[in-house]
Amino acid sequence: MKAFTFLAPEALDEAVALLDRHGRDARPIAGGQSLLLAMKDRIARPSVLVSLAGLADLRGWRYSPSGELEIGAATTYAALISAQFGGWHGEISAVAADLADRPVRTMGTIGGALCQADPRFDMPALAVGLGASVDTASAGGARTIPAAELFAASGGTVLGPGEILTTVRFPTLGAFSGVAFEKFRQRVFDAAVVSAVCGLRLDADARVADARIVLGAVAQAPVIAQRTGRQMTGRTLTEHDIAELGAAAMEEVLPVSQAMSSFHRYQRELVGVLVRRAITRALDQARS
Amino acid sequence: MTETLPRTRRQTNPPAARKLVGQSMPRKEDLALLTGTARFIDDIRLPGMLYAKILRSSTAHARLNRVDTSKALQQPGVHAALCGQDLLGKVKPWGDMMQDLLVGDHFPFATDKIMYEGQEIAAVVADTKYQALDALEVIEVDYDQLPVLVDPEKAISPDAPVIQEGISYEFGDGNIFDRYRVRVGDIEETERGADLVVRQRFTSNRQAGAALDPHGCVASYDSFTGNLTIYSSTQSIFMVRDILADTLQIPRNRVRVIVPDVGAGFGSKAQMFAHEVIASVLSMQLGRPVHLVLGRGEIFRAGTCRTGQVRYAELFLKRDGRITGYRDYVVHNCGAMSLWGNQVIHIGTNVGMLPYPIPNVHVDADIVHTNTAPAGPLRGFGIPQMIFAKEQLVDVAAEQLGIDPLELRARNVVRPETFPYRTPMGQVIDSTSIYDCLHKCGEAIDWERKRAERVPYEGVGLGVSMKYTSCRHPSFDTDLSAVRLRLETDGTVTIFSSDVSHGQSHATFLAQVVGDVLGVGFEKVNLAQPDSATSPFGLGTFASRAAAVLGTACRQAAERLREKVVTIAAHVLEASPEDLETGNDRVYVRGLPDSGLYLENLASYAAYRTHQLPPGFEPTLESVATYDTPTEREAPDGSGNLSVTYSSAAHAAHVRVDPDTGRVTVVDYAMAHDTGVVINPLVVEGQHQGGFLMGIGMALGEDYVYDEDGHLLSASFKDYQAPYATELPELTKIYEIPAPSLTIPGGQKGAGESGAGPVPAAIANAVYDATGVRFTALPITPERMLLALKEKERQGVDTLRFPDDMPDFTGPRTHQEWPEPTASDEGDILL
Ligand SMILES: Cc1cc2nc3c(=O)[nH]c(=O)nc-3n(C[C@H](O)[C@H](O)[C@H](O)COP(=O)(O)OP(=O)(O)OC[C@H]3O[C@@H](n4cnc5c(N)ncnc54)[C@H](O)[C@@H]3O)c2cc1C
Repeated sequence: MKAFTFLAPEALDEAVALLDRHGRDARPIAGGQSLLLAMKDRIARPSVLVSLAGLADLRGWRYSPSGELEIGAATTYAALISAQFGGWHGEISAVAADLADRPVRTMGTIGGALCQADPRFDMPALAVGLGASVDTASAGGARTIPAAELFAASGGTVLGPGEILTTVRFPTLGAFSGVAFEKFRQRVFDAAVVSAVCGLRLDADARVADARIVLGAVAQAPVIAQRTGRQMTGRTLTEHDIAELGAAAMEEVLPVSQAMSSFHRYQRELVGVLVRRAITRALDQARS
Repeated sequence: MTETLPRTRRQTNPPAARKLVGQSMPRKEDLALLTGTARFIDDIRLPGMLYAKILRSSTAHARLNRVDTSKALQQPGVHAALCGQDLLGKVKPWGDMMQDLLVGDHFPFATDKIMYEGQEIAAVVADTKYQALDALEVIEVDYDQLPVLVDPEKAISPDAPVIQEGISYEFGDGNIFDRYRVRVGDIEETERGADLVVRQRFTSNRQAGAALDPHGCVASYDSFTGNLTIYSSTQSIFMVRDILADTLQIPRNRVRVIVPDVGAGFGSKAQMFAHEVIASVLSMQLGRPVHLVLGRGEIFRAGTCRTGQVRYAELFLKRDGRITGYRDYVVHNCGAMSLWGNQVIHIGTNVGMLPYPIPNVHVDADIVHTNTAPAGPLRGFGIPQMIFAKEQLVDVAAEQLGIDPLELRARNVVRPETFPYRTPMGQVIDSTSIYDCLHKCGEAIDWERKRAERVPYEGVGLGVSMKYTSCRHPSFDTDLSAVRLRLETDGTVTIFSSDVSHGQSHATFLAQVVGDVLGVGFEKVNLAQPDSATSPFGLGTFASRAAAVLGTACRQAAERLREKVVTIAAHVLEASPEDLETGNDRVYVRGLPDSGLYLENLASYAAYRTHQLPPGFEPTLESVATYDTPTEREAPDGSGNLSVTYSSAAHAAHVRVDPDTGRVTVVDYAMAHDTGVVINPLVVEGQHQGGFLMGIGMALGEDYVYDEDGHLLSASFKDYQAPYATELPELTKIYEIPAPSLTIPGGQKGAGESGAGPVPAAIANAVYDATGVRFTALPITPERMLLALKEKERQGVDTLRFPDDMPDFTGPRTHQEWPEPTASDEGDILL
């Protein structure tokens, strides 16, 4: 680790101004669970850290008047776990409860995970899968970005230097009738080898009105399996259909021609399995 | 040829009173560990201490042209910098002593050639470790990349680039730096007479010790006295002292090695390392203490790990299931340099033949260098690798012969009518309960029912092994440990020993031994920290030797001390020594345990009231004993009794395989062991639990994964798949069936490595039973498992060997195809 100055602003505009003033040498720090490790290995070398921990606006969650779930970017996994979200929003707590270890969950934040944009982490795939969007603030002004556009295809985010992610918005409860996040990791504290998210809405006849399938860890950014999602709509899915959808996702996301190494062939198999599991669970939820 | 083996008599008759040996005395070590007050190497702070850091190679094979530390010296806080050229001709290379080389192949830094990623290039010492790290960044290194050899079988090809240049090996050439042979019985005749031959190529993984306490040292040179004191996290203080003094070319009585608490080693700290020389040289240059503790990535890359092996193994059997022969060609990967690597194949193969007294054994091994991390000893010393191959062949044979795998083992495990019994390989089995252990673990796992009532994707498997208890290493000719005891003037006892306790609970079990012999209370016995200035000479703690070898030295020292106190007491009490007993902290006349003289009084006579002593009695209450085991040197044909006694392990695994993800879950596990007389059941169970943990790691996850440029991709605990507690089954089926050693006076045997040896084999056999996939490579990761299931499905077969199915075999399939011995082998003393 290199020496650095630690600044602890108490308001968002103050944080924005500090980041602006210190330019490229400065980095926001939330839970520090990714950033400090990178600094320890000297991969990241900021000379100024601007802590987001003291910004009350960035912590906690609430429902907007329109029913969107707004989560402050600096809300910790631990806070998400104990939040009493309604309906399918509960999946966010379940995902937060089943990643990393207790110290990481106590310190790590949802915004930090999104900004870190590690493809193997859970929150990026979840946010894209559930159609979330994020609000940001910077010296240049505020903007809202759909999660699907937050992640650059070559890795990382599209955020500019000094841009702070302030809020993560999940759509209203009406957006989905069932959602599920599934992942496979070797040890319980490992990041995912592959993760899969399914969010779907059923119509009155229990047919799929629309559906999203998103895969994590198979590329530098979460991958939306659009064809597979479209294939689901308008149908009453049977177990056989679900198996076919799993296979379709494999072809769409990791076709044989791209799965050359043993690791990628393995990931390809997992895509099929996890998509099946995610659809099955999302459907169960939607039907019950 | 028949041979009468001397029957060793038990030498002691311990008092009949309630004994400490055999009881689960709470560990004396635990209070400090559980309260966080234990002091490890990184906790050592000396006045004026500086911090050093090492620049390590980021490439695996290169010609090193130039290292320039001049800019580093300009950095703030920097006191000195060193590189290979600075030390040429000033410090002596090492490694010759262990490897029988004419000159050593180890040096503190690369000088003209880089041989593996992580090799030492330069070092800086500064006021803080951060300043030292800053300064490392401005060191200039100029090198030319060379082709990299990761695969040991490529390294032996005649046109492969040579890694260790400029060293001429007595028994090897090119990247083969040593060879090993076993020629016992007549393998050709065995092959002709065999009803069944099973053969397979197996590869085994490299595994880290992964001791949580890092490798490191603090060196402190006193320019006034000329004494170098070094605190080090090591398993052997005298190995460090002797080789460090030799490397620095200073007298050995000028080097003092002390250990702080050592948070485990598992074999990975059983040698002197470059960092110990570097810290010492820097301290000698500056006259100030130098702290040099390695980071995890450095330990993965430059600490030692388990040797990797490729085996072309063959097992010969008769129709009735009798194993008549074993033949193997082994490529033994020791990494770019290795102190102990060649010993691993000797002992691992010799002892790894057990528990079967196989009459005909024919083994050739090429011991090779690759551009990978140095390899050496690790829990099991070659035995888990060997057992993985051999025990799977036993299952292959059982299936082909239509004999139950448990029954086939029962027919073959060593079960002589009389002990001691010498096997064809030369091991002298002084006692064993392996046959009973096998049945016990079968019973505990519910073998027959589970084999009969099939559950899809579930299966059971067995593995049996016997482990050396200490060893006479072929390159050395010694197997000793020593203890000095002092009865202090208040009746307490101090134990001095140089054998480092790094998880073996020396303070606890030695106190139990001393307590029983001397009659002193358990709480009154204290173990001094190993310190080469004050401790008697001993080899150190490895090879499951503590209880048996150190424990025996301790018992003998206690008996000698007992004789002294009884002599004084007899004189004072005017009684005959034969009528006296020890116990309750005193010496008393038999039958009157509440009378007699306290040890405290007796000690004070020897110190402060010497007129009370018997005439001519030398006023000292110290005793010292050294125990060198009655083991043999390895014979030219590879046979010999290298170990003083043999502990046994029979394991049974019940696994479940997830056909969707390939995850292998051990749902139930049973282990039955023979550890002889168990001094402390709590400690022994702890060793078995820990051994199992390392075994399951080797079986299912741990590996040194290299890319083709020789970069280690698993050099952090994030990427290295060591199991967490959450990945382990609850181990409840642990049984001891003691067959007390007849050679070791107290009857105890080594405990530390029995738990690890059979685990990969038992799990691999269970995986086959569950899926029909016979794994020929370790570890069995979810990735490999799932791809194997898919491959099996694709081929439409019921069983599949994976990844090496015999029809696709590329290497030598039979011994006729084994590489020809090279010219340097002719007249080889081994043949
Ligand atoms: C042992 C371990 C296991 C883990 N396992 C998992 C796992 O299984 N699944 C998983 O999903 N994650 C896992 N993680 C990562 C964990 O989720 C991290 O906590 C998280 O990725 C980072 O969150 P943080 O709040 O600690 O961010 P920090 O480390 O503070 O920051 C990360 C990066 O984001 C930037 N940043 C942070 N917040 C903001 C913001 N509001 N606006 C702009 N930039 C910001 C920082 O500048 C930095 O570049 C693991 C981590 C560890 C250490």
